[in-house]
Amino acid sequence: MASENNKKWSSRSVGTPWQHRFFYFLIRLGGRHIAYPFLYPVVLYYLLLRPEERRKSRYYLDRRFPERRGFAALKDSFHMIMGLSRSLVDRALVGICGPEILHTEFPDGRRLADLAAGSEGLIILTTHVGCWQAAMVYLGKLKGPVHMLMQQEEGDIDRHYFEHSGQENPYRIIDPTGFLGGTLEMVAALNRGEIVSIMGDRRQGAKANSLAVDFLGSPVHFPVAAWKLAAVTGAPLAVLFPIKTGPDRYHIELAEVIKIPQQDSRPLKRLTPYLARYVRALENLCTKEPYQFFNFYDMWEEQPKP
Amino acid sequence: MHEASLREQLKKIIIEELNLEDINASDIKDDDPLFGDEGLGLDSLDAVELVVLIQKHFGVEIKDMEEGREALASINSLADFIETRRAG
Repeated sequence: MASENNKKWSSRSVGTPWQHRFFYFLIRLGGRHIAYPFLYPVVLYYLLLRPEERRKSRYYLDRRFPERRGFAALKDSFHMIMGLSRSLVDRALVGICGPEILHTEFPDGRRLADLAAGSEGLIILTTHVGCWQAAMVYLGKLKGPVHMLMQQEEGDIDRHYFEHSGQENPYRIIDPTGFLGGTLEMVAALNRGEIVSIMGDRRQGAKANSLAVDFLGSPVHFPVAAWKLAAVTGAPLAVLFPIKTGPDRYHIELAEVIKIPQQDSRPLKRLTPYLARYVRALENLCTKEPYQFFNFYDMWEEQPKP
Repeated sequence: MHEASLREQLKKIIIEELNLEDINASDIKDDDPLFGDEGLGLDSLDAVELVVLIQKHFGVEIKDMEEGREALASINSLADFIETRRAG
């Protein structure tokens, strides 16, 4: 976790404050119908005139589409950056107009509610996929408060969705840069039978607190804190992917529910098969929806490129 | 429980249940830092287990960062925390 912080990625948004405010204005003016078309010049600007941003999209895309070169590769980068941009507009849309603005289906919503009603608490494992604010209608109905392990970086100008309407954050934030990476707060919340949401695809701290699992052909060090918490506290771990299926439509996929026996908490390697179930689910998602995994950093690090 | 034996019991739990290899109870000084580069060198993943172990063995819960920062500083502070909680 983050007390041994050496993370190589940044969650800071690109763009200037006025650019973000301009899009918030467009959303207030006419919703996504007005905001989406204005994304084209912005995305083309980043794609064609900001090689650094284009290069960041290639870490993942070169693994997902190793055979693509030239214009085909550029098109992939366009789709991915456009996908992220639309999800950011959708996030602001939820904040400004309310979660009902998106049509979200969640066939396994009842199952998630049953898991959340259990006494062991529930860990929701999220990923940089789609727009998780689309799941808000459902998360708001779950029993007990939802805690989010989340860090807003200094100088980040992008607003959280709830800030648009001047509301208080409906979720309780646990800071991963706090003492022992927020561990104590997470254990305490799960002990109270509450819900803790953790990102599964970004390592915050030292490599020692991660496990390597093959992802798209090469090993990636995934953070292991969520898995350790699940094993030690007995809380089930639910893998959720909010997938965009139309301009204003999302499908929430409960991809995996993983329960880890306490004896598998040590040594760390015993958690690998459980982590691998999540990684396989993420690979399946990348196969079905290649432009909805918004990864813009080199997860594979020292591994040779395909 | 006598204070000295509580400290020994804490060391035994940490060594056995956190699988610390090549460390004996006598290697851990009562005021050594438990976390970080100095002292015992436990990390945040060890903390997850340690908090649950304290609860399991002593029925005492460490609820948040403020309590944890104080209680998990050393064997001495952890023993004091458990004693205080049990007395209260």
